[in-house]
Amino acid sequence: MTQDACQRYLEDPEANAGHLETCAECRAVNAALAAKADVDVAPISLVALPLAPWEGSSHRAWPLVLGAAAAVILIAFVLCDLAGISPLHVAETSLSSIEARRGLLRNATEWLRAAPAAMQVAFGVAFIVVNALLVVLLRRAPRGIDA
Amino acid sequence: MRRGLRLFLPLTIVAATLVTAMVAAPPGFGAHEPLTFEGAAALMQNTAVTASLLAVWMLAAVALTLLSGREIRYSSIEMRASALHCFALGLVAVTSFMLTAIVFSYLIPYHVGVPLLFALAVIAILTKIYGTIAVFHAVGTLVAGSRTREQLAGRRWLRGDLAMVVVGVIVLGALRLIPIAGPFIWAFASVFGIGTALATKFGRREPWFLAWRAVES
Repeated sequence: MTQDACQRYLEDPEANAGHLETCAECRAVNAALAAKADVDVAPISLVALPLAPWEGSSHRAWPLVLGAAAAVILIAFVLCDLAGISPLHVAETSLSSIEARRGLLRNATEWLRAAPAAMQVAFGVAFIVVNALLVVLLRRAPRGIDA
Repeated sequence: MRRGLRLFLPLTIVAATLVTAMVAAPPGFGAHEPLTFEGAAALMQNTAVTASLLAVWMLAAVALTLLSGREIRYSSIEMRASALHCFALGLVAVTSFMLTAIVFSYLIPYHVGVPLLFALAVIAILTKIYGTIAVFHAVGTLVAGSRTREQLAGRRWLRGDLAMVVVGVIVLGALRLIPIAGPFIWAFASVFGIGTALATKFGRREPWFLAWRAVES
């Protein structure tokens, strides 16, 4: 047999299973490997296996992505136009929500400063307990792929 | 038949959104009580701001999925495999962020507080962005993911990480626009996302802490 056919069989034995019938050399190699591994080589049906999460994941559906992004941007633009606001106003609104959170944080800190010592100790204990719990939860290994 | 199913799902989402919006609409937004001009303007502005932010989320989600699709997919798988752990971790992490922010804010007069607070804010924002995009992927896969290999082979557009993320943005974005319930759903998704991002170490699936082991002689 040609070297190319043998090479193709070695690269993908399942797709080129018919090659074994015509090539004595590869047949001998296959039998030797099976005897060495001491296993009964069973044919694997890929279709029968469940769909793996990575299958087809690299596909990039650009028409869907570009269409959806354009639709969402267009809807946002139309709504902003109808409401009479500019993108600058959207940014200002986002910044004002951040400012509100900073105000909450400032108030909480001032409350903590003015709180009695027992309250400050209780806050410290809560801080340690919550962070210890976080560390305990972070120690668990992810199981997604093996599940 | 297949085309009918393809249309059925988005139409169901739109119909459910409209029905929920009508049921959960704030007082004064019904047909019997006319909405004041100021109220209508404020509602319109809120919707416009939310839609604009959704557009920003869409762009961020597409960019991050293009940059690290595998990590997003790992996090999405983890979220679906151990949802309760991710949610519990998210709740604890959000509480930890808040308490730590108060402690760092307490330290501002001692000069070390500002950089620590800045670092915490950066970590929290990155965790939220990454986690929310992982939630988009998980929601998109649950809603529109292929169940069988034949189904996957028959699809032209609705396959791949990018498509799943886009579907997730659209579904969660539609839910986000529901008055009153929308922000709660979004916050719920954020907690899930933060938990997932931390549970998988941003999709890297590495341990956060090294295990101590005695040196073998």
